[in-house]
Amino acid sequence: MRALYSAATGMMAQELNVQVISNNIANMRTTGYKRQQAHFQDLLYQTMRRAGAATSAQDTQTPSAIEIGSGVKAVSTARAMSQGNLTPTERDFDIAVRGEGFFQVRLPDGRAAYSRDGGFDLDAQGRLVTKDGYEVEPGIVIPQNVQSVSISASGVVEVTTPDAPEPQEVGRIQLTRFVNKVGLESIGDNLFLQTAASGEPVQGNPGEEGYGSLQQGYLEEANVNAVTEISALISAQRAYEMNSRVISAADQMLQAASQMFRG
Amino acid sequence: MENTLLIGLSRQVALARELDVIANNMANVNTNGFKARSSRFEEYLEPDASAETFPWPDRKLSFVIDAGSPIDLSDGAAEPTGNPLDVAIRGDAFFVVETPAGERYTRNGAFQVDPQGRLVTSDGFPVMGDGGAIQLEPGDTGIVVAGDGTISTDAGQRGRLALVRFDAPQMLSNMGANLFAAVEPAQQPLPAGEQARVAQGFIERSNVRAVYEMTRLMEVSRAYTRVASTLSSLTDLQRTAIRTLGEAA
Repeated sequence: MRALYSAATGMMAQELNVQVISNNIANMRTTGYKRQQAHFQDLLYQTMRRAGAATSAQDTQTPSAIEIGSGVKAVSTARAMSQGNLTPTERDFDIAVRGEGFFQVRLPDGRAAYSRDGGFDLDAQGRLVTKDGYEVEPGIVIPQNVQSVSISASGVVEVTTPDAPEPQEVGRIQLTRFVNKVGLESIGDNLFLQTAASGEPVQGNPGEEGYGSLQQGYLEEANVNAVTEISALISAQRAYEMNSRVISAADQMLQAASQMFRG
Repeated sequence: MENTLLIGLSRQVALARELDVIANNMANVNTNGFKARSSRFEEYLEPDASAETFPWPDRKLSFVIDAGSPIDLSDGAAEPTGNPLDVAIRGDAFFVVETPAGERYTRNGAFQVDPQGRLVTSDGFPVMGDGGAIQLEPGDTGIVVAGDGTISTDAGQRGRLALVRFDAPQMLSNMGANLFAAVEPAQQPLPAGEQARVAQGFIERSNVRAVYEMTRLMEVSRAYTRVASTLSSLTDLQRTAIRTLGEAA
């Protein structure tokens, strides 16, 4: 009985759906997190009777087919790369991107990773690093004894020191964009890696066409919408239950069949 | 007497098939752009071997066979996603997708952009516009899909989504992966009319009606059990008859 297996694929799909939703909800307060959504496709069909088959010599034909599907499969958990809200933090090294671009981060093994999480700090050498201590590229070093740091919308980092009250430029933060940012690979820690699907990284200055601009003193919240996630959770849970009902109905029918001629 | 068994069996086979259709609908209750199928049965008269010489001619036996599983082509609910590349069709139309096996049609408008900048489905097949695949430039921002399917960005127009319809959409064949194929040569796609519009930032959900499917499920399950118990009592009848006649002999 195919129904058993079709419903089982349905339950597996909804289980994956709940996993994705629960991860979104768990990351509701994660800076720069982009929500995922599970996408499904129907599986192969078996054609029992073809549409358009001749039913007589008088050129009559079947108007519709008997096609029995075999369930569902998950096809992607694509991220929605929409803008998250900006929350003020009043910290100098918290930077939010308004627009498309990603910050580029140098991993300890030398690879480049990309992030929307602009909650940066300084390390002992005064370098701008992520919360994990990975260097933000291109490297920006803030001198000792600075009085104030300002990061403009176009990424220029300027400092003032007691010796030089005039702002001095110490570097410029750059942003990276991808043709298909949905194709980036997530590696956790709010970081993404380039893949064959994402396309080559294209670097540019904030404020240029298509890169987005920076906002100092703000962080980008997750773009998870609680109401959407909860309603998706309810619908996934109900779908799971209904698929399990199909399995028990198929089971009852098999039981009825097996008990038909007992004794 | 065996005829009763066989007629009951024909009903059970048909019900098992209907359950398969329901199970596939339920499995795809969250599949974007999925179109539910229902089951249709017809009476099959078993005509041939009848004896005309008896005072009462043999009555024809009526079996049940499944005649079709028509597609429910109604619109699914449009769910707002906010993703600019999610496009839902309202009305009688399909998107055109170019696959290695030929042109396919889908109602699933969850599109993406591939590394070459082409608009593609989740499987990476290009989505066709009126003049071939829709190509975006790497620097394109602010993608807007108009109601008639015209795609434009800040840098100008990038083409128009091809929307097609069919005179006899029931002839479409499911190919899996949310795709339909026109297997009948008579079923050539026609340009969709003015009534078909697209909505950007929405995704068309499955049009499976869960409550309806659950009701059918109960009905199928009960009917199957009922036939099974009828057949059971029939065999009981036979057994009793054999025993009683055996004692009499």
